[in-house]
Amino acid sequence: MQAVKLSLKKANKIPIEADTVSPDNFAGKTKEEIEAILAWYGNGQCPLGDFFTVEVEGSDSTENTKIVFDGDVSRVKRIGQGMSAGEIEINGNVDMHCGFGMKGGKITINGDADSWLGCEMKGGEIILNGNASYYVGSGYRGESCGMRGGKITVNGNAKDYLGEHMCGGEILVTGNVGLLPAISNNGGTIVIEGNATMPASEMKNGTVIIKGEVSDMLPSYKEDGTEEVEGVTYRKFVGDVNASGKGVLLVK
Amino acid sequence: MSEILIKNANLCDPIQGINCENMDICIRDGKIVESVSENAEIIDAGGRLTMAGGFDGHTHSAGKINVGRFINPNDARRKLVPGLSGPEKRTEKTRAQVGYNTPNTYAIGYRYAKLGYTTICEAAIPMLAARHTHEEFKEIPILDKMGLSLFGSNWQVMEYIRDKEPEKLAAYVAWGLKASRGYGVKIVNAGGGEAWGWGKNVNGLYDPVPNFDVTPAEILMGLVEANEKLQLPHSVHVHCNNLGKPGNYETTIETMKMFEKVKPTVDRQSLHVTHVQFNAYAGTSWRDFETGAPMVSDYLNSANHLTFDLGQVIFGPAVTMTADGPVEYANSRLLHEKWSNQDIELEDASGVVPLSYSPKSFINAVQWAIGLELALLVEDPWKIMFTTDSPNGGSFVNYPEAFTYLMSAKKREQVISGFGQMALDRMVLPGIDRELSFYELAIMTRSMQSKMYSRPEKGNLKVGSDADIAIYDIIPGDIDPSVEHEKVKQAFSGAAYTLKDGKVVVKDGQIEATPMGRTYWVNAKVPADIDSAMQKDTDIKFKKYYTVSKSNYMVEDSYLPNPVEISTEGVF
Amino acid sequence: MPVIKDAVCSLCGSLCDDITVTVEDNKITKIENACILGHSKFVGMFEHDRIETPMIRKDGELVPVSYEEAIGAAAKILVNSRRTLSYGWCSTSCEAISKAIQLAEETGSLIDSTANVCHGPSALAAQEKGAPGASLGVIKNRADVIVFWGCNPVHAHPRHMSRYSSFSKGLFSTKGRKGRKMVVIDVRKTDTAKLADRYVEIEQGSDLLLITALRSAVNGHEDVIPQTVAGVSKEEVLELAETLKNAQFSCVFFGMGVTQSRSKYKNGDGVSSLISDLNQHSKAVMIGMRGHYNVTGFGQVATWETGFPMAIDFARGFPYYNPGETGANDVLVREEADAAIISAADAGAHFPQKAVRHLAKIPVIQIDPYANPTTELADVVIPAAVVGIEAEGTAYRMDAIPLRMKKLIDTEFKTDEQIAKDLIAKVRELKGGA
Repeated sequence: MQAVKLSLKKANKIPIEADTVSPDNFAGKTKEEIEAILAWYGNGQCPLGDFFTVEVEGSDSTENTKIVFDGDVSRVKRIGQGMSAGEIEINGNVDMHCGFGMKGGKITINGDADSWLGCEMKGGEIILNGNASYYVGSGYRGESCGMRGGKITVNGNAKDYLGEHMCGGEILVTGNVGLLPAISNNGGTIVIEGNATMPASEMKNGTVIIKGEVSDMLPSYKEDGTEEVEGVTYRKFVGDVNASGKGVLLVK
Repeated sequence: MSEILIKNANLCDPIQGINCENMDICIRDGKIVESVSENAEIIDAGGRLTMAGGFDGHTHSAGKINVGRFINPNDARRKLVPGLSGPEKRTEKTRAQVGYNTPNTYAIGYRYAKLGYTTICEAAIPMLAARHTHEEFKEIPILDKMGLSLFGSNWQVMEYIRDKEPEKLAAYVAWGLKASRGYGVKIVNAGGGEAWGWGKNVNGLYDPVPNFDVTPAEILMGLVEANEKLQLPHSVHVHCNNLGKPGNYETTIETMKMFEKVKPTVDRQSLHVTHVQFNAYAGTSWRDFETGAPMVSDYLNSANHLTFDLGQVIFGPAVTMTADGPVEYANSRLLHEKWSNQDIELEDASGVVPLSYSPKSFINAVQWAIGLELALLVEDPWKIMFTTDSPNGGSFVNYPEAFTYLMSAKKREQVISGFGQMALDRMVLPGIDRELSFYELAIMTRSMQSKMYSRPEKGNLKVGSDADIAIYDIIPGDIDPSVEHEKVKQAFSGAAYTLKDGKVVVKDGQIEATPMGRTYWVNAKVPADIDSAMQKDTDIKFKKYYTVSKSNYMVEDSYLPNPVEISTEGVF
Repeated sequence: MPVIKDAVCSLCGSLCDDITVTVEDNKITKIENACILGHSKFVGMFEHDRIETPMIRKDGELVPVSYEEAIGAAAKILVNSRRTLSYGWCSTSCEAISKAIQLAEETGSLIDSTANVCHGPSALAAQEKGAPGASLGVIKNRADVIVFWGCNPVHAHPRHMSRYSSFSKGLFSTKGRKGRKMVVIDVRKTDTAKLADRYVEIEQGSDLLLITALRSAVNGHEDVIPQTVAGVSKEEVLELAETLKNAQFSCVFFGMGVTQSRSKYKNGDGVSSLISDLNQHSKAVMIGMRGHYNVTGFGQVATWETGFPMAIDFARGFPYYNPGETGANDVLVREEADAAIISAADAGAHFPQKAVRHLAKIPVIQIDPYANPTTELADVVIPAAVVGIEAEGTAYRMDAIPLRMKKLIDTEFKTDEQIAKDLIAKVRELKGGA
């Protein structure tokens, strides 16, 4: 087991781009080696040691490496980008693109997450114990495929465009979501335990379950009886008819 | 005075009939000369393959490509071809770069130069938006540029053809070229752009254009007459009707045949047919779709009045962009893809749709094969220009990969082995074992362009020609391209040297210098009385139908920082 | 006295190019053909609050300095910054925009246009679905159904309807307004709506619901449309869908009512899909009613030079684009920017309070012909020539047609292009010396 603890020395406004912070990149490295890893900060690069106090215990493989952020990192972007295994725990708020394109492993956030959490995620798990901002599990601008695999759990609320262009995987939100969750999605499962507005616009494929209230249901879904999931009966809608979609939208 | 002596070059220069012979090349002030003084800077080519700079005579690199960039920001980060795609930081010598199919302007210049290319021809200038093309040209470093202006659905053109006014038509073409600073006449799906103004298309050569009482065949024949009357350096450059439709090979051959009777007034072909891959489809629907390349090739082998380019498909993401508006709309509906459209008042249409070619799709596999079949079944390489119709069939950065398809049957077999039986049944490529030589490749990538565009100083290294030179890291005698295709690809992907006007712009695959290239345009002289009669007609067009003033239509000199005016004398 | 014909009006995205300008003693004395807005720009130039000299803030006061000193001070700010925001560049020429982009690239800055607060969502929509459009003359000659959605050309683009749309006449539209159906969709009965054959009033922020209902109707799925959508009856939705389907050529002009209402770019995205669906029945296109006269040009130039139309972050040396992260307001509201250069735009007046408060805390360089609320925040003020009047250059009309703006009178002021070039040179000098 290798444990790496990062504590931000001083709160920052200009974001630190931490795409180099992942178990893949830290495994087997010493405190000094990790401190020397460069991260973008505005238009220049600085060693991580300039920003963080780094503590390392043990040395192990990627799977057996755990990175803990001690406290708020609400201006540290791209933590865990592309990670394939291991674990990251963030005890505070985190900035945009956390878990971008991650392939495996686990990220736990005990705080809020800014936009693009788990954007283009392919595998692994993200557990957010807090609120999420925009574009959870979406794709990059212009892409037709967002999240493809893995699971994101938001134990809180999420803002607009949750799961945009999602093609696979699973998103669970225990609270409410904003506008247009599951827009243009083409696979995967989204479960929203709270309320949602205009869900599943242009869904081609996939399943969306909304347990709370739906506002502004889009006029592009055909009602098709009911369906029971885990003992609960939902009204079943199929569409989006304008995308010749076969998506299933289950609503209380 | 600057002098360079390239020693020990293994020169492949088909225009001079030189087939991989070791010799020295002398350069003074950007031109090839007989000899240089002792003070000349020396480049030791070390027996490596040396050619004139490449010339891509049909590429979408300025203007419409911007729509492709705009709707596909995701293309910017694609790194599919190492060293020739994706984001790259600015350096002391180069601007920042992005993209794969739709790179930014700087990347277009640098990456063509890395491939040893030094001249490009933008395939479509919408005249009303011509300033845009030239604005992008200004920001494409290194390369010499030219562009073809769109005339195929132009109201004035169709009216003059309908009213049998060939002289005024020629005068209008001359004026349009001058206004748009174009190099030649491009015809895209003749008449189809106007039909698309009503959401319709023309179906074949004899389907009248709505409201204009002319047929595509008449538009083609009218414009070729004007083209030859003006003695333009390039022939008409035709994107045939029915592009992209199964069974279209018949229209393509019919179109080619129509031009047999044309007598060119300049020593070149009377017709160039572009991206023939997209127009060599047999079958009656996508279900029984199959190659039409054998039929088209048979005809091409019997004909001597035309040239054509391939429009080779490259597997992976591409972006289609064409003035053929109805084709793009159909593409977007068929593929459920993004669709951009831009009809241009009184002139033409256009559209942009991204797509991806997959070897697993039998249609895409057959399309891929058709391009190669055309290149390999047509015997005379002087008729063939190598293109991917970049980025319609795929990005130009894949040219080195495509060269290996042409030069190695083994490489082709590798790709073909991934195809399903249905695809194999619809193509003839597996039965073709022809492998092109460096000499034939040089013809298709630079030499034939010299003749086709009447640019005697391009595409060859004769004394007096431009010192645009590519040296590739290959010793021709020591390599078997059939087997060592990876090495061939490697060498063509980053020239050991590219020289532009005698200046080293690429060394060991890296950019060394970024001079500003030229822009060629054609000024065709027309008798004053014919010109003024034509101007009266266009005055009315501007007054009644255009939304810009005529005086604001002409591209000003300031848009061409390094212009080369090619003057021709019309024969009236 | 010189009379200049066919001058291009550099006020709104209509870019009318038929203006006749009379100049006497280097003063514009007469304007013909311009609308009231354009007229006031041409002649009002002298009545406006023109910045008369370069200035630097010293001890809280802006004091006059030379161009050289102002450019030196500005370059120093840029060189010392880790995250500069360069913003605006829409009421200027493409040539100036090109240099501004180069400056951003060389200083590792972030550059964004005024699209950030107007039609930026249209770009995002195009990146989802494409933008099926046409040049304005195509509308003039062909359109028999014209829809204005969330825009009010009577006030914002006064000559639009006569030159390009409702009232214009062309080859296939010889009857002008009489031969056309004009539909206005808005949340309130605007002056444009008063001219329409059909006015559809929708509930605030419900554009996407109506767009979706129209698509369902056009695509033959009437059954999924409820009795009322977006405050509009099903009957009216179906009638509108029929009008569009039965048109020979329809055009939807959309404005900030669409791009800046709830569900923002997804509205434009929806309109684009609606246009695609309509083309199964008849010809249809869409055109955004762009405000600043060259905001379209910024998008064009930025796209060919960087790959992206706006919100471009050069921090890592290559362009990165992600509106929501790299937009002007994004980095101001988050207090990321540590310096700002604002040209030909008024962030001080148009940005949210939080963004403006941050601007007040960081060094700000302003390049503009006119004083405005941004001037109050600026530490370095560099006056510029008015493009289209005192300087020539390229601008792109709302339909992406490029036009050459003329220089009508002489000026002592430097052009935006020259100022940007000077800044690049000075930055290089400072960096080289470091």
